[in-house]
Amino acid sequence: MRWGYIAIIILVMFFLYPIYVLFLVSFVPPQYTVDRLYPDQIPVALTLHNIIHAIENAELTGALDKSLIVATIVGILALVLGIPAAYGLSKLEEKVATLITTLLFVVNMMPAIVIAIPIAADFIKIGLFDSALGLALAQELVVLPISTFILLGSFQSIPRDLENQARVDGAGIFRALFDTILPVAREGIIATFLLAWMTSWDEFTYAILISPIKPTLPVHIYLYTTRGSIIDASAFSLLLTLPVLALTLGLQKYLRGEYLGGGIKA
Amino acid sequence: MKGNYVNYFFVLPAILYVIVLVFLPTVEVVYLSFTNPHGKFTLSNYEALPYFGLTHSIIDTAIVVTGALVLQLIIGLGVASLLTRAFYGKKALYVLSIIPLGIATVVAAVDFHYIFSPVGGFANSILKGIGVTPINWYSNQYLEMLTVIIADSWRNSPIFTLLMIAGYSSIPRDLYNAAAIDGAGIVRRFFNVTLPNIKRYIVIALIIRGVSEFNIFALPLIMIGYNPPLLTTLTYEFYSTTVTLYYSYAAATVLLAFIIGFIIIVLKIGGGRR
Repeated sequence: MRWGYIAIIILVMFFLYPIYVLFLVSFVPPQYTVDRLYPDQIPVALTLHNIIHAIENAELTGALDKSLIVATIVGILALVLGIPAAYGLSKLEEKVATLITTLLFVVNMMPAIVIAIPIAADFIKIGLFDSALGLALAQELVVLPISTFILLGSFQSIPRDLENQARVDGAGIFRALFDTILPVAREGIIATFLLAWMTSWDEFTYAILISPIKPTLPVHIYLYTTRGSIIDASAFSLLLTLPVLALTLGLQKYLRGEYLGGGIKA
Repeated sequence: MKGNYVNYFFVLPAILYVIVLVFLPTVEVVYLSFTNPHGKFTLSNYEALPYFGLTHSIIDTAIVVTGALVLQLIIGLGVASLLTRAFYGKKALYVLSIIPLGIATVVAAVDFHYIFSPVGGFANSILKGIGVTPINWYSNQYLEMLTVIIADSWRNSPIFTLLMIAGYSSIPRDLYNAAAIDGAGIVRRFFNVTLPNIKRYIVIALIIRGVSEFNIFALPLIMIGYNPPLLTTLTYEFYSTTVTLYYSYAAATVLLAFIIGFIIIVLKIGGGRR
């Protein structure tokens, strides 16, 4: 086990160090970090000035609003498209269901940059370019497969009898879905929404191609680094990171290899 | 069986959505890459690409994809195999190993930019601290690609780790015990027991991550810009600088071809289905 412990120490340092650096750049005055040829590895002084300076920036509110709106639409769309799809899949023959989930996962394989260019051109024509809805429609492509898969998993874990009972009692298919199935699958539904939300919150490729003029937060950070305001960029980075970090830790249960593998049964 | 049609009806919106926003645009890109602005068939878009660094970007993409996959596979297997044992702080290692997943790619890019920066870089500060000559990480293209590979592996190794954990947990413990009784050492056990059992998880991880590696975009764009070029940054450069949009269609089609080729190769080596 001695080699095991050495491996553990190396891995822990590898995982933690970049987060520590982000903390240093955000909370230590720049003269000790990025303005120095060899920055200090320990926080010699702490300041909130970097963060305050970034928050006072007027462009931030616009980007923050845009990110919040787009992420929320993506979360809602994941449910609007995902719930019916997962419900239908849970009742279809397994062969057909596998075929359709595989199709959905193939979507994830298509390069965002390949799809985004014609989508951007088409969105210009129909007035969706640079809009929150347009961007959300594109980003939905990233989350739809995993959303459907998580929802499918939680629907499948519900006993068939529960729905049959409701149907026997005279509920239509929609009543049965809304009154019996969805409440029981609540946990999976919330997880799906949050995962979709945070994927959109982080997404960059579609964002820069489809909404470059009124950018989201990630694109804004990129624009800052190209302009050289790296302290602001790091403060924004922290702002972008905190909600997602919290969600990642909260959603651990759903970040499972089985879900990531999804429809592909290699 | 009448109910069956209703079930298809439920799945329909998702399928329509995917057709409209994925398949049609993809077909559009491939089609337009073979036309000129007047809608006539031409190969000139492809013929122009080599003058803008196509060959270079293909080689660079291959280097980054291979490097990142190897590094992530090592990290993923390492963490997953450590987690099969019992030790103090096991849960903490698991949580730490998936934390990078909670850091946006853009943030990871900015972060590693601080680490590898020639001035004010934290990596060089460490090297100097332990008495090694600091390196200018941006002095040549291979070092630049190495920084991208490290940053990408940090951000995305959790996906490998999670899949490897799923793989390890699918191996019956008895197999190990039997192998240990038969006198098989750690290395023998890994190649004869572990590897065959988790092979399909490795194939899945290689496909999922491999495809994403070909699409790697935010990290190189922020960390190294357009040079050395990758297929994605080259495509984006055509798109954003509008030499002509048709070059970007052609570059995108090349990228697509490589991804499809990659999937086929991995499936063939991995033994295909089952």
